[in-house]
Amino acid sequence: MSEVRKPLPRPAPESVPYWEAARHHRLEIPHCHACDGYWFPPSRSCPHCMSADVGFKQVSGRGKVFSFVMYDRVYHPAFAEEVPYVVALVELEEGPRLISNIVGIRPDDVRCDMPVSVVFDDVAEGVSVPKFKPV
Amino acid sequence: MIESSSDLRDTCAIVGIGNSRLGKVPGVSSLDLIVEAMRNAIDDSGLKLSDIDGILCRGPDEIYSHHQEVGGRLGINAKFSTTVTNGGASQILSVALAVMAIKHGLATTVICGYGRDAWSRTHANEEARVRNETRPPSQLPREFGPEYGYYSAAATHAFGATRHMHLYGTTKEHFGHIAVAFREHALRNPQAQMKKPLTMEEYHAQRSIVRPFGLYDCSLRSDAAGAVIVTSKARSKDLKQPPVIIKGFGTHNNTKGWFADDNMVVTAAKQSGERAYAMAGLGPKDVDTAQIYDCFTYMVLTQLEDYGFCKKGEGGDFVASGALRMSGVLPTNTSGGQLSEAHAEGVLQLVEGARQMRHTYPAHRQVKDAEIALISGHGGNQVCHSTLILGRA
Repeated sequence: MSEVRKPLPRPAPESVPYWEAARHHRLEIPHCHACDGYWFPPSRSCPHCMSADVGFKQVSGRGKVFSFVMYDRVYHPAFAEEVPYVVALVELEEGPRLISNIVGIRPDDVRCDMPVSVVFDDVAEGVSVPKFKPV
Repeated sequence: MIESSSDLRDTCAIVGIGNSRLGKVPGVSSLDLIVEAMRNAIDDSGLKLSDIDGILCRGPDEIYSHHQEVGGRLGINAKFSTTVTNGGASQILSVALAVMAIKHGLATTVICGYGRDAWSRTHANEEARVRNETRPPSQLPREFGPEYGYYSAAATHAFGATRHMHLYGTTKEHFGHIAVAFREHALRNPQAQMKKPLTMEEYHAQRSIVRPFGLYDCSLRSDAAGAVIVTSKARSKDLKQPPVIIKGFGTHNNTKGWFADDNMVVTAAKQSGERAYAMAGLGPKDVDTAQIYDCFTYMVLTQLEDYGFCKKGEGGDFVASGALRMSGVLPTNTSGGQLSEAHAEGVLQLVEGARQMRHTYPAHRQVKDAEIALISGHGGNQVCHSTLILGRA
């Protein structure tokens, strides 16, 4: 019986640079050259000023846990060995919030507003997923 | 300052109310369920099928042009019809669109409804049961979710619950009061999916789903449909049933997203409710019964705050006071709600709110002397909201 593998991200066209940077262990998110704003998830128009003069920019990788949930029920068989695990909404220092896992801590010890920083999990050949650990 | 559209106040009425069989209805499609509910609403109203000239409805997302399928099965053409796709906010939005269409002469009598086969599709086989997913595969996230094991509407709403607990000291016990009250109401409703009492001890001993939510914090998977018929107040006077007056409605959609700003702890119920109150010329103190979109216990708590039934952060104390019970200050989800009656994306809250305004229930189900009902709808990607305020003629 073959092992059930965790799903890999299937990027939308506008997210390809994000995953390419992650592959090289850099956290790069959409950034507006016109207003210096950041946002997430990726799109090719700045939601702060409507400029199309946008790109990706590396960010600090530091942030805090805005909120989180802990899975006890298995929705996908590949996560059967992981429960309980934490899925968090991390608010980056630069403002945008993104979904990730909190690792390197007992799930029961995760708290809102806890400071965290990015680490990269090499989940498959050529695919790395940003996760966060407490600082 | 909320602008009032008070020229729409008291112009239309709900004159027909119906629901389908609820709960586990294997072998019946969502379209046949909605038509069953609509047929019951038409029978209830005393109208002829040929009197219906508008259809506003919603069903499972993979059904293209759902309203056309419904019209075909009813066997009617429509002057005005469309599928409303604001998730659980669609059902009240349908009524709001019906009022506007009738006011401006696009239609005279509009049937609004929603139907789903969510129990059947999540119990078709073992894989479907594990995934517990009602959305078509094309709508599921492809990135920023599945790679982290992030699945289910339960988790999305649970983010709000965690944040609310962090900010305001809200507890699981508070959520339990909501689940227990609605279950007690369901026991008065012979059609409700849940038939057994739920105690606070059983609530605390529940199986965990995605913390902070356990089984009893989550609404049901149901095969279910509901429908109402809207016409002008003038036409409503000669019909079979006592008309239920549409006093006000409002919408607000936090389309920047559930994860943006403070949207997960201050929902669009706030602005949606303010608009509905302004149209009706009423406020939270005037509301005698509330039918709140209860996809998850926490969503009831935050909406009660956002609608002004208590202050932000005090929803826990409010529900713990017994406010939501039949004997409480604000009997809420008096049919059992989506947590214990059946989950049909808010249409059954609309059905129940309208029925409460007819005063035709037996005493144990009727909110005594209720003159005003507030109904909420919430959905889409957690950010669409609609509010309806009903009254007696």
